[in-house]
Amino acid sequence: MTDCGCEKAKAELEEYLHNELRKEDALDIREHLEHCPDCRSEHHVGRTLTDVMQRACKETAPEDLRDQVLQRLRAIQSAH
Amino acid sequence: MAAAMLMERNLAAPVLAAPALAAAVEVDRLELPVMTTDTTDMRDLFEAQAMPFIDQLYAAAMRMTRNPSDAQDLVQETFVKAFASFKQFEQGTNLKAWLYRILTNTFINTYRKKQREPYQGTIDDLEDWQLGGAESTTATSSRSAEAEAIDHLPDSAVKDALQSIPEDFRLAVYFADVEGFSYQEIAEIMKTPIGTVMSRLHRGRRLLRELLAGYALERGLGTGQSAPIKKTSGSTGK
Repeated sequence: MTDCGCEKAKAELEEYLHNELRKEDALDIREHLEHCPDCRSEHHVGRTLTDVMQRACKETAPEDLRDQVLQRLRAIQSAH
Repeated sequence: MAAAMLMERNLAAPVLAAPALAAAVEVDRLELPVMTTDTTDMRDLFEAQAMPFIDQLYAAAMRMTRNPSDAQDLVQETFVKAFASFKQFEQGTNLKAWLYRILTNTFINTYRKKQREPYQGTIDDLEDWQLGGAESTTATSSRSAEAEAIDHLPDSAVKDALQSIPEDFRLAVYFADVEGFSYQEIAEIMKTPIGTVMSRLHRGRRLLRELLAGYALERGLGTGQSAPIKKTSGSTGK
């Protein structure tokens, strides 16, 4: 049992979520989360925050923009 | 003129890629129009590698400029600048991060000034209490209700919340959570130490969480406590 405790877990949850922890530290957090409903729910909120942002921020560039960019690249090139 | 260029190219030959150079010299000799083979190749390569990022860059530009017309201008500028310096891009390194660096620079140097947004350069120095909010001390059960409520918010509410947090926080959060850049990459894109990136992320995410929990409460989605759905007769509010 190498439970790192809530304090360490809470302090490192964000880095854990962003895959910034070293492997051993990430394993410690993961193990703690398995046993601690409190930290698990905190992590769940964090994860949800990331998910909703990814979902909300999806955009498709307008077709016009694509064409304009290509046109400008070609224009630059023929000016050289 | 053409001869001088040819000489120069020949002198430089040992350090350049031989096939591309040979092709370029060939074209010069035939006095064809300015479009030499190597620059066409360069454009093809650039288009093939960079154009697939246009949706993502546009999405980021939307979050930066907050409107489609400026976002389109910003993306165009970014591609033009990226193409102009594409020769300096080291193949095999992270093109996406490189493009985002150009996007972010361009935004900061042009659009941010244009938008006359109040300068937020000292936001990192604010104490936590000045930003409001508190660490989550809520109970487990209400936290799962919070997560569920946030999850059910419409995209527009999430975008509004992102829009309303300080720009440096917004960009850091966007780069990490939406784009999945590493802290190191974000530090390079935003030209700031990693510690600052982490602090911006932490504070930005906390502000967002509060805003979203607040929206959820207003909409009666509930974050543990049940809130009555406000009904104002005759109101056409958003």
